Amino acid sequence: MKRVLLFVMLTLLVVSGLVVAQEKTQITLWHAMSGTRELLIQRMVDDFNLTHPGIEVAVEYKGSYRDTLNAAQAAAVAGDAPHVLHSFEVGTQQLLDMGIFALAEDLIDEYGVVIPWGDYLAPALNYYKIGGRQASFPWNSSNSILYYNKTLLDAAGVTMPREPTFEDIIAISNAVISAGVAEGGITWPMHSWFFEQWMAELGANLVNNENGRAGYATEINLLDPAAITIMSWWKELYDKGLWINPGRENWSQARQNFTTQRVAMMISSTSDVNLTENAAFEGGWEVGTAFMPVPLGFERHGVVIGGGSLWVTKDHPDAELKAATELVVYMSQVSQDIEWHQGTGYFALRNTSLQALALEGWYELHPNYKTASDQLAETQVMTATQGALAGVFPEIRTFIEDAAEEVYGGTPVGEALAKAKALIDQALVDYKELMGG
Amino acid sequence: MESKFPNRFFPLLVLLPTLLVCGMFLYYPVAQSFSWSLLRAAFMGLRTLYVGTQNYVRLFTSPDYLHSMWVSILFAGGIVIFGLAFSLAIALLANRKVRGARIYRTALIWPYALSPAVAGTIWLFLFNPTAGVVNYVLERTIGISPDWVTSQNLAVFLVISAAVWKNLGYNIVFFLAGLQNVPGQVIEAARIDGAGSWRCFWRITLPLLSPTAFFLLIMNMIYAFFGVFGLIDVLTKGGPARATNILIYNLYRDAFQHNKWGMASAQSVILFIMVVGFTLLQFRTTGRKVHYGG
Repeated sequence: MKRVLLFVMLTLLVVSGLVVAQEKTQITLWHAMSGTRELLIQRMVDDFNLTHPGIEVAVEYKGSYRDTLNAAQAAAVAGDAPHVLHSFEVGTQQLLDMGIFALAEDLIDEYGVVIPWGDYLAPALNYYKIGGRQASFPWNSSNSILYYNKTLLDAAGVTMPREPTFEDIIAISNAVISAGVAEGGITWPMHSWFFEQWMAELGANLVNNENGRAGYATEINLLDPAAITIMSWWKELYDKGLWINPGRENWSQARQNFTTQRVAMMISSTSDVNLTENAAFEGGWEVGTAFMPVPLGFERHGVVIGGGSLWVTKDHPDAELKAATELVVYMSQVSQDIEWHQGTGYFALRNTSLQALALEGWYELHPNYKTASDQLAETQVMTATQGALAGVFPEIRTFIEDAAEEVYGGTPVGEALAKAKALIDQALVDYKELMGG
Repeated sequence: MESKFPNRFFPLLVLLPTLLVCGMFLYYPVAQSFSWSLLRAAFMGLRTLYVGTQNYVRLFTSPDYLHSMWVSILFAGGIVIFGLAFSLAIALLANRKVRGARIYRTALIWPYALSPAVAGTIWLFLFNPTAGVVNYVLERTIGISPDWVTSQNLAVFLVISAAVWKNLGYNIVFFLAGLQNVPGQVIEAARIDGAGSWRCFWRITLPLLSPTAFFLLIMNMIYAFFGVFGLIDVLTKGGPARATNILIYNLYRDAFQHNKWGMASAQSVILFIMVVGFTLLQFRTTGRKVHYGG
C-alpha cells in the first residue's frame, strides 16, 4: 500500500513538473492593419509561435492607427497595456511622452537579442531615432509615389519623365483632358501627408527646433516659401479642374478615381503598388510609376518615411519583455521582411532583403516596386527628410487639411496658412507646457 | 389609495441597482467631465496640468468653435423642421385605409433600423461622384455631376438630408400612433358641420397630435445635436472647411483624434448645459400650448 502511495505521489510530482515546464510566456500584439494585411500578420505570428516553443503570442487587430493608439492608452491607464503595439509614424512623440514604452535600443542591450542595425535602410531607422537613440523598431514603411495610366498617356501623346515637375503634371493633365481620354488629370487623397512629403522634397522642415528633433517644436513653418509654393500649385490644379478631390483622407475614393480611369495620374502610398497593378491588369491597361513631382528649378531632397513601427511597453516581467523583444526583432528578419514586402508593397527594410529580391528578379518582374525603392534610396539624409516630431501631429494634420479645403473654397493661400499656423503653434506650445518641456 | 412600504429602507434597496448603474455609467463620468474641463490633459489623463477656466475662455473666443455652434443650430433647425414636416406628411398618407397599408408602414420604418455607419455608407454610394446612382441620373438627364461632399453647401444639404431620412422611421411610428388615437367621431362631426379636410387637419388632428409632436421635437433636437455624429464621420468628417463640423463632432475630434481631453471635457460640459437649457425652455414655452386632452 505504501508503495502504491509513493508511486502515485511520484507520478503526480512528475506530471505537475511537466505542466510547469510547459507553461508558455504569453504576450499580446495589437496592430492596425486590416484586410489581407491582417491575415498576413496572423500567418507571420503563427510561424513565430511555431518556431519559438516557449512563447505564445496573441494578435489583435484594433482598428485604425488612431483607434489602436487610443485603445493602448486606455489599457495603459487600466494597467493592462499590450506587450507590443503597432503604431503610426506621427504618433512617435506622443508614444515617447506617454512614458510607458521601453526604448528599442535598451531592450536589445538588456535581453541580448541580435539585431543587425547596420543592415537596415537608414531613412527607416532615422525616423524613429530620437536624440541619437533608436526608440522603436521600424516595420511597415512606405512613402508616396506618382502612379500614371500609361495607356491613357500614350493615347494623349505624352510621356511621363522619371522625375516629373509640377509643371509637367499640369501639362500632362491638360493633354489628357483636351485629348478627351480622361475627365481629370490627377488625384490624391485630401490628406496632409502629401503636403508633408512635398515639404521634405523641397528641403523644408515642417516644424522648428530641427523638425522637432532638437527639442519640443513650438512653431510650424507654414509661411515658408516652400509651403506657399505647394499650396498655390494645389490650388491652381483645383481651380483649373485638373485635380479631382476624392474627399478628406479618402484613400479608397482616390484609388477608385484612378482605377476607373476617371483621371490619368494618382499620387498615393507605395503600399498601393500591389492593389493598383492588379486593378490595371483587370482593366486591361498599363500602370507606370514615377517619383513625386517637385516645382521646376527646385532641388529634389527626397521623401519622408511613412507607415508605422513596433513599440514594446515596459511594465511586464522580464520573461515577457524578452519574448516581446524576440517577436519584434523576428518581424523584420530577412525572410519575414521579404514576405511582408511582397505581400503588401511596404518596403523591404534590410539591404540583405533588397539584394535577395534583386537576385531573384523581383524588380524586373515588378518595375513599379523599383521606383519606390529608388526614390527612397536617393533621399538625402537631413532633418527635413527625417520627418517631423510633434506631439500634436494629428492636430497638425486636421488644421492643414482644413486650410487646404479653405484654399480651394476661395480663401487666399497666405491667409489660410497663417490661420492654420496660429492654431497649430498654440497647440505646439500647449503641448510643450503640458510635458514640462 | 395609498400603498405603504414595510420600512423606510426598502424603497432604497429596490432603487439600489438603478442607482449603482446610473452612478457608474452616468453621474461619475459627468462629474469627471466637470473636473477634467479645468485641466489640460493628454493620454487619457496620464498627463494633466491645471489650467482653471482657460479651456472655456479659449472656446468662447475661438471663431471656429462659435462657427461650430452656428452649424449645430443650422443642423438642428433643418432636421427638426424638415424631419417633422416630412414624417407627418408621410404618416398622414400611411394612415389612410388603403390596400397593403401594413406593408407600407413596415417599409417606412426600415431606415431607422440601420446603423448610422451603414446609412452613411449607403448615402456615400448613392452620391459618389464616380460611381453613384444619383450623379449618373443627373448627368444623363440634365448634364451635371456635382461633387456632393467636397462643396460646402452641398455637403451641408447632403448630411441634413441623410439625417432626416435616417430618422423618418422613428418619427413616423410616433405620428402614426398619435393619428390612430385621434377619435373618428370628432372628425365625423366636423365633416357634418361642413369642415373640409384641410380644416379638419388644422383644427382637430394637429392639436390632438401636439403631445406627440412636442415629444418628437425634443427627441429630434437631441438627435440633431448628438445622433448625427456617425453620419458626419462617414460622409464628410466635419469638412469641407468645417462646414459640417457640429459641436459633437468637434468634441470627438479634440478627444479621440487630437488627444485633448481637458478641452473635450469642457465642450461636453457646454453641450450638457445647452441640452438642459433647451429642454427647460421648451417645457416652459411649448409645454403650455400642448393639448393633452383625452
